[in-house]
Amino acid sequence: MAKNKIAIVDTDIHERVQYKDILKYLDEPFKHYITNCHWIQEKHMPYTQPAVAGVDRADAVLPDGRPAGSDLTFMQKQLLDDIGHEYGILTSALDPSPSSMHGWYEMATALASAYNDWQIEEWLEKDDRLYGSVHIAAQDRDAAVKEIERVGSHPKMVQVLLPIDDIMWGDPFYHPIFEAAEKHNLMIGMHHNEPPVYYGKWPRYFIEWHTLIPTAHMKQITNMIFNGVFDKFPNLGLMMIEGGFTWVPHIMWKMDQQYRDLRHEVPWLKRKPSDIFKEQIRVTTQPAEELTKQEFTSLIEQMGTDEILCFSTDYPHWDYDSPTRALPNMDPDLKKKIFAENAKAFYPKLPNS
Amino acid sequence: MKEQVVCKTTDLEPGQMKASLFGKQNVLICRTLDGEFYAFLNQCTHQGAPLDKGMICGATTDKSKPGEYDYCRKGEIVRCPWHGREFDIKDEGRMLANPNKKLPSYKVRIENDDVIIYK
Repeated sequence: MAKNKIAIVDTDIHERVQYKDILKYLDEPFKHYITNCHWIQEKHMPYTQPAVAGVDRADAVLPDGRPAGSDLTFMQKQLLDDIGHEYGILTSALDPSPSSMHGWYEMATALASAYNDWQIEEWLEKDDRLYGSVHIAAQDRDAAVKEIERVGSHPKMVQVLLPIDDIMWGDPFYHPIFEAAEKHNLMIGMHHNEPPVYYGKWPRYFIEWHTLIPTAHMKQITNMIFNGVFDKFPNLGLMMIEGGFTWVPHIMWKMDQQYRDLRHEVPWLKRKPSDIFKEQIRVTTQPAEELTKQEFTSLIEQMGTDEILCFSTDYPHWDYDSPTRALPNMDPDLKKKIFAENAKAFYPKLPNS
Repeated sequence: MKEQVVCKTTDLEPGQMKASLFGKQNVLICRTLDGEFYAFLNQCTHQGAPLDKGMICGATTDKSKPGEYDYCRKGEIVRCPWHGREFDIKDEGRMLANPNKKLPSYKVRIENDDVIIYK
């Protein structure tokens, strides 16, 4: 630990692949489709991210022009060494995001495997502090399960990544994925890709879309809980990544109220939704709204537990949160929990020293 | 520290900015398109990002109406490299979205080719 007196586990770091870097991990004909046919993954969003350097922190773009997050040495220098991370969890830059592809499942499945091999070889095995996420093409459920079986036992893979996009993952069709994850002590990490937040479409401005991302997170949580995922897989946990956290008390109260009245429809729920949340769902802090200490403490009280929040930077994206500046001052015990202990308690494969 | 030469006038073309040191303080020297120099603390008021890694640019102004962009002030706005917050160089470093916040600033004078800043 360099500058920080307390340990930091960063639950959202975006390493970025350039397609040319994963070619050697791809089989034919998929390599051919990228090299010669110029395949790139579809994008849905009509806007740019109107910060200084698009999606990236302007000072994280590499001096030679490569995109931010694409070089381990640079990331070590700017993030891991400078801040003094104990551990960081890689969540990718969502390109490729195989589970977000609308078709061509074979390509999606091949990309997921290539990405996992690249991530293990180029990142996880080169820095002791970095832990990883298993990429899958979940729309091809059986291939996804095979991929979890293939790389899920790697000692540094801690979760299976699913995008928050236009599929609700609590549907029983996807439960074999959760079964495979649970079997390998992997949690589920959900991060938004480009979810339609406006009645299945796009609002007119990026600022509207970005404001409403937490609604997409709330939809997935509501869907996963009421579809009984957490009752069926009691050792499974869900990390909701990059939706902020000020919405947490709201959705807990809302689900509990509905459950009291409408439990009849979902009799497989054995616990009230807020208890399921407290036991099996965690939330990364970034992007943190600027709160006073009093507002922050009050929110934690409303959550009913101080074990839900896990600190994250979102490096190297523009809405990065600084570990020293993003959250208000807090009591030392709470700080230890939010900055490290909660994440260590959540991920079974993260060393809990 | 009363005053200090922080750079040469020739170090910055109009519309450029650079980091320098004023004693131990990391400062940002900006040159607007009319050739004037300005100096601020090189640290965003939000989370402390180094502003010299951001950009000096224009802004969509408060004259804009819904659905109609008014973009001007070229070379007069500093944007933070992280969250893109905008600070008005010619209005004491005030933040466009919240003019009550401003970047701490320094006085500047030019002697010969030297840019000198002082409190």
